[in-house]
Amino acid sequence: MDVLVAPRPILYHDRMKTDPSIASTGAVKRRCIADRSGCQRARPIPVGGDALEPERGSWRLDRRLWWCAIAFWFLLGCLSAAANPVATENVVASLVAERTQVAPGSSLELALVLRIRPGWHTYWRNPGDSGEPPRLTWILPDGVIAGPLRWPLPERIPVGPLANYGYSGQAIHPLTLEVPEDWPVGVPLPLRARADWLVCEEHCVPESAELALTLATAPSPGPADPEVAGILAVARAGLPEGRIDGAVLTATDRGLRLSIPWKAGQPSPAEVAWFAGAWGLIEHAAPQSWSWSGDRLEIALTPGSAAESAAPDGLLAVTGADGAVRSFEVAVRRADTALGTKTADQKAPIGLPLALAFALLGGLILNLMPCVFPILAMKAMSLVRGMAGEGADEGRERLRHGLAYTAGVLVFFGALAGLLLALRAGGAAIGWGFQLQYPPFVALMAYVFLTLGLSLSGAVTLGTRLMGLGGAQVGSGTAGAFGTGALAALVAAPCTAPFMGAALGYAVTLSWPLALAIMLTLGLGLALPFLLVSLLPGLARRMPKPGPWMESLKQFLAFPLYGAAAWLVWVLSVQTGPAGVAGVLAGMVLLAFALWLRELGGGRQPWVRRARLLVVVASLAGALALGLSTTRLAPVAANAVGDEAAGFATPYTADRLEAARAEGRPVFVNMTAAWCITCLVNERVALGTAAVTDAFRERNLLYLKGDWTNRDPAITDYLSGFGRNGVPLYVYYPSDGEPRVLPQILTPDLVLEALAGSP
Amino acid sequence: MRSFIRSAQSLSILALTVALAAGPAIAALRVGQPAPAFSVSDTSGKVWTLETLAGRPAILEWTNHDCPFVVKHYGAGNMQALQAEAKDAGYVWLSVVSSAPGKQGHVSPSEADDLTQRRSAVPTAVLLDSDGVMGRTYGAMTTPHMYVIDAGGTLAYMGGIDDRPTTNPADIQGATNHVRAAMTDLAAGQAVGTPLTRPYGCSVKY
Repeated sequence: MDVLVAPRPILYHDRMKTDPSIASTGAVKRRCIADRSGCQRARPIPVGGDALEPERGSWRLDRRLWWCAIAFWFLLGCLSAAANPVATENVVASLVAERTQVAPGSSLELALVLRIRPGWHTYWRNPGDSGEPPRLTWILPDGVIAGPLRWPLPERIPVGPLANYGYSGQAIHPLTLEVPEDWPVGVPLPLRARADWLVCEEHCVPESAELALTLATAPSPGPADPEVAGILAVARAGLPEGRIDGAVLTATDRGLRLSIPWKAGQPSPAEVAWFAGAWGLIEHAAPQSWSWSGDRLEIALTPGSAAESAAPDGLLAVTGADGAVRSFEVAVRRADTALGTKTADQKAPIGLPLALAFALLGGLILNLMPCVFPILAMKAMSLVRGMAGEGADEGRERLRHGLAYTAGVLVFFGALAGLLLALRAGGAAIGWGFQLQYPPFVALMAYVFLTLGLSLSGAVTLGTRLMGLGGAQVGSGTAGAFGTGALAALVAAPCTAPFMGAALGYAVTLSWPLALAIMLTLGLGLALPFLLVSLLPGLARRMPKPGPWMESLKQFLAFPLYGAAAWLVWVLSVQTGPAGVAGVLAGMVLLAFALWLRELGGGRQPWVRRARLLVVVASLAGALALGLSTTRLAPVAANAVGDEAAGFATPYTADRLEAARAEGRPVFVNMTAAWCITCLVNERVALGTAAVTDAFRERNLLYLKGDWTNRDPAITDYLSGFGRNGVPLYVYYPSDGEPRVLPQILTPDLVLEALAGSP
Repeated sequence: MRSFIRSAQSLSILALTVALAAGPAIAALRVGQPAPAFSVSDTSGKVWTLETLAGRPAILEWTNHDCPFVVKHYGAGNMQALQAEAKDAGYVWLSVVSSAPGKQGHVSPSEADDLTQRRSAVPTAVLLDSDGVMGRTYGAMTTPHMYVIDAGGTLAYMGGIDDRPTTNPADIQGATNHVRAAMTDLAAGQAVGTPLTRPYGCSVKY
């Protein structure tokens, strides 16, 4: 077996002749003079010798002893130059195995152990501003595979204005070795590796050692070596505990902002440090400030020379209140480039005028949404009925109503924008439609739609002051008009119109006055048709004449509202499962009962009225409690959305996307939510059609679906990567090319064209 | 109120940054931007500034003769060959020593001249930046750390001398020399293909 024959050993004497760097390196040169002859580069020392104890004295062993050792090893060098452990000028290096007897077809843990001279240090995989990480070059028998070195949490070592990431005292780098199944049992397994490292105090010395380790082989693995088990336990304690996905790096004009998901259940950190995995991302020496906001850690970093191009992944070190340090590998995506492969036109967000135009258009379209239209139709009819006159009084009255209605819409949108921005500032991963991610909100909206529907059906009469709807009376007053406006805005929220996603995504990236301007423009769009009718008597005159048909229309319009309520119950079923549905349906029955009882009237005796009021209030309270209780129900597993339309979709994770991209597989990403009607329609009419699903299968395309029905920071991050803040979002990644964003309204042809457009 | 809190936050961050910048901060330079100004004496006492270059392209080399990574390139004659090539192509070559007094690599003017002669090096001048002002301005982190400034005074390259971050002279053969590649690109009138790499070596002994 040729692998057992050692290669020509690299001994220091040889290197002295050919390697001037070593001969003239300050530290090594001084040693050479001290030894007055060829100084050894690697000093093999006996296993178990006290050189493993990094005490100062062990560095000054009798030189004659070293001479003997050198002579011995020089002779032995013809057979093998390698030893284990090996002492160099500043380090005692060793290769240890968790057990000395290993079975073919199994793997075992090894570790490169560097015991470092006090005051000196070796380096992490990203060494920081200077330095180099240690490297192992293996000489292994065929079929034996050594995994990469693993890197325990380093320390940040300041060097003047610079900083390094490295280790002092000792550095233990575990790795996994795999023994092939066909290794003959009983034949020893020789492992040889050349270790190179740079060790620095203030000045640096490159050192190396040839390390050898021979393992016995047997049908079953031998017992673990207790000493090595201790070493490996120390190493494991320093290794990252796991991996955190969904971190986002954003370049701002004040520096880099790294936002890392941090589960609310975990204890809040007392101290946080970020170790950039690659050189150039950050200035290693710069101080890092961090804040802890709900379920995200936000770290402010100073950009380094290659902040735009360096890989953004790294290591997060978190010190708990008890002083215990934990570390995590963190997979980071850049916010300005989704997975680093975004096309140029997506990079430039839409401008402010365009965003305002989209917001206005989006607002106008909201008027046609099934949940808004009935309310507006009723309101418009109230104008027709009572205020179509030409007189100055009617004109003033109309104007007053129009303005009050507009104010109601704007106030609601302003409040919603404020809440959205406040939560954003607090670091919560939310987006447009976020309110629908909370089951109680969905439940209460279902109640609202049911009540409005009952009102339009004529089953109940709502106070005109409350809603301005019930009898659609003219005299409902300014407050009524204001209430209608707010109500229209409230019920419009679920119907995220196309164009709005982009405008709102842009809005949240702006300073808050501009963001507010966009939200208010959206509200203005919603209010505009009604405002125009009230401002222009000509328009009002052209509306159809009042008559009995209005009552029929009113009753008919109840049905879209019942539909909206039914749809919200379905959303709730996705969010909370059957328990939530049962709760909200029971709540609806209670609500209807309370409304009926209230409508019933009658009862002369005060106690009857009081009892009735009590039951009404109790029923309403019960309904409310049932609605609110949905918050306690555990969210149902993701990806329950639209499975019937496209059963072969895989739930979205950043890892899956990355892996498919890495292997050159085309990917279609669909970001959706149960409460997003546009999304569901697209899935039904485009993505779920046979033509599209067949095209997906033909291309071996990976169809990833992200369900944003409940809050999911990973999806919020993905959306923000494309400058969006809401669903739907459709992105097609060709097998080799830039990802393409598809429009928010899909047709089968549109999808097929996008697929065909790929090379 | 929100904006007030935010302004106060940004102000305090700004103040902190300024306070730290006054201390031992390192500049983050951008390739493609004008090279920052400097004013440092060479071994003969002549003061060099950006203006001294007068429209000639220049190469800055941070050095420390005792650093094993520097020794690799001087010992094998690699740095001297690159200096000669650059000079032939009309470059000004400035070797910069930013080691503080008492730190490794710090040299007096005569020691520096001696080293140049002994190593047959051919820089245009050796700048003695013992207070580290130029080093910090340029963000020099390692020795060697290389910078190429084009004839228009724009920073065209910064980073390592090549792509083999070792101290073994055998690795020079077959390595891609980023400085030479930058000179080739500039001579061809092209943008530098690899304008930024990780510098490797010992830390600059500020």
